[in-house]
Amino acid sequence: MLESLVSLESMSLSSMDVSVLERLKWLQQQQQQVLSTTNASPELLQFHGTNNDELLQNTFSHFQMLGSGFGPNYSMGFGPSHEAMDGCISRTNSCQMDQADTVGVMLKNSEENITISLKNKRKSEVKTREEEKTEKKIKVEAETESNMKVKSNLSNTEASSETSKQKSKAASETQKLDYIHVRARRGQATDRHSLAERARREKISKKMKYLQDLVPGCNKVTGRAGMLDEIINYVQSLQRQVEFLSMKLAVLNPELELAMEDLSVKQFQAYFTNLPVVVASKPSLMVDAPLFPLDQQGSLDLSVINPNQATTIEAPSASWETQSQSLYNTSSLGFQY
Amino acid sequence: MVDSLFPSTEATVDDASPESRRKRRRISETAKETAESSEINQESLKRWRTNRVQQIYASKLVEALRRVRQRSNDGGKITSAAREIRDTADRVLAASARGTTRWSRAVLATRVRASLKKHKKAKLTGARKPRKDTAAERKRSKLPAVERKLKILGRLVPGCRKVTVPNLLDEATDYIAALEMQVRAMESLAELLAAAAPRSTLTRP
Repeated sequence: MLESLVSLESMSLSSMDVSVLERLKWLQQQQQQVLSTTNASPELLQFHGTNNDELLQNTFSHFQMLGSGFGPNYSMGFGPSHEAMDGCISRTNSCQMDQADTVGVMLKNSEENITISLKNKRKSEVKTREEEKTEKKIKVEAETESNMKVKSNLSNTEASSETSKQKSKAASETQKLDYIHVRARRGQATDRHSLAERARREKISKKMKYLQDLVPGCNKVTGRAGMLDEIINYVQSLQRQVEFLSMKLAVLNPELELAMEDLSVKQFQAYFTNLPVVVASKPSLMVDAPLFPLDQQGSLDLSVINPNQATTIEAPSASWETQSQSLYNTSSLGFQY
Repeated sequence: MVDSLFPSTEATVDDASPESRRKRRRISETAKETAESSEINQESLKRWRTNRVQQIYASKLVEALRRVRQRSNDGGKITSAAREIRDTADRVLAASARGTTRWSRAVLATRVRASLKKHKKAKLTGARKPRKDTAAERKRSKLPAVERKLKILGRLVPGCRKVTVPNLLDEATDYIAALEMQVRAMESLAELLAAAAPRSTLTRP
């Protein structure tokens, strides 16, 4: 294993990442061996008891050395750091039994680092690899965040700090180049334009979903054209309602100053119990406009003119009753938040 | 237009600095837009429904309505007063949006323009031209039905005529939520006023 790693250092910069992966795999094997044997030999315990900082420095220097291709130190530095990493892992082994997770996490991170760094450094060579499997930038960042959280939970400070530094390096590199990666689904085109189009379409459909939740009655219609029709109708009806209400307030405005003292308190109470107004009351509003300050008379006319309308009409008619119970009647209708 | 928002990564390295800068700006803009838009969508539903917003709007509305000038108290001029009240209510609504949305900024901006009355003149002169072409235009533009409806929606939402599709949808979401709140507030206010001063209305046969 040592010889293979030494031979790797003669390769170019990307070897650093490849060897990291191999090294981690080696470490995993080592860890499994340690697990199979009895826990925590006293030598190892002593070792990592004293060498916490040295471990960190060793591993850092190790990574640097890999990049520079420092021959003799490489093989030398690898020896003790082997045991150091080993001790580190075995220490966590004695504390908590979750090393497989950490190593697996580290492996995943290293893979991500590999893909990220490879993308950054060798676009042309790696393009085919990219096309096979690309990941969302946001996803990657989220994963790195979650991984860091996982590590902090496991209290594996040394490994987390080193991989986080690596990751921040990689993340900053990605931010400089600013890709927007989209995961390609099985059987779909992976060229850049269709990916971009798909991302755009997904954005738009997400927003249409929000609108669908907001506009009542949009669930029945399928397809974008129908939904847009409903949305347009809804906006128009809301604007018309505002106009009619402003007309009503224009009449009632002189009384505003008279009733100002109790108004603020009562208004808020009534306001909060008031549920959203029904939209389908368009025809009723059209009827009410000439009957302008209405109260009971208006509600009577409503009942005469539109007897067969759906229960939705009851909302405006109820609201125009002067009885206090009208406020509670509106709650009988189904429209809620 | 939307495709230009997604940069082609092969070109970023080779381009000259101004183009790459432009692309980076676009990238940062799209990043901000995505962050903003997702925020807008989720926030707008909750934003216009919190009690605090409703209280703020209600109190501001009452204050504004008190200050509304009444050019003619009685007579058949309810419509002008109604229009003023509607504009006041819209302005108060836009003000409570705190300038985060495009339509709110447009509503507050049109106040200055409308007062100068140039808006009406512009409408009259602009309306004449497209009438001749409507038949031909309809034949041409009948194919993208969704796009036509998006244009109509853009005309309905104030200040969103030349806005990209995702932004238009965001603005529409916020605008609808705000309008709902406005309708509720005005209705409750009208109820209270009608309840508080029933003397004048009850005298009718």
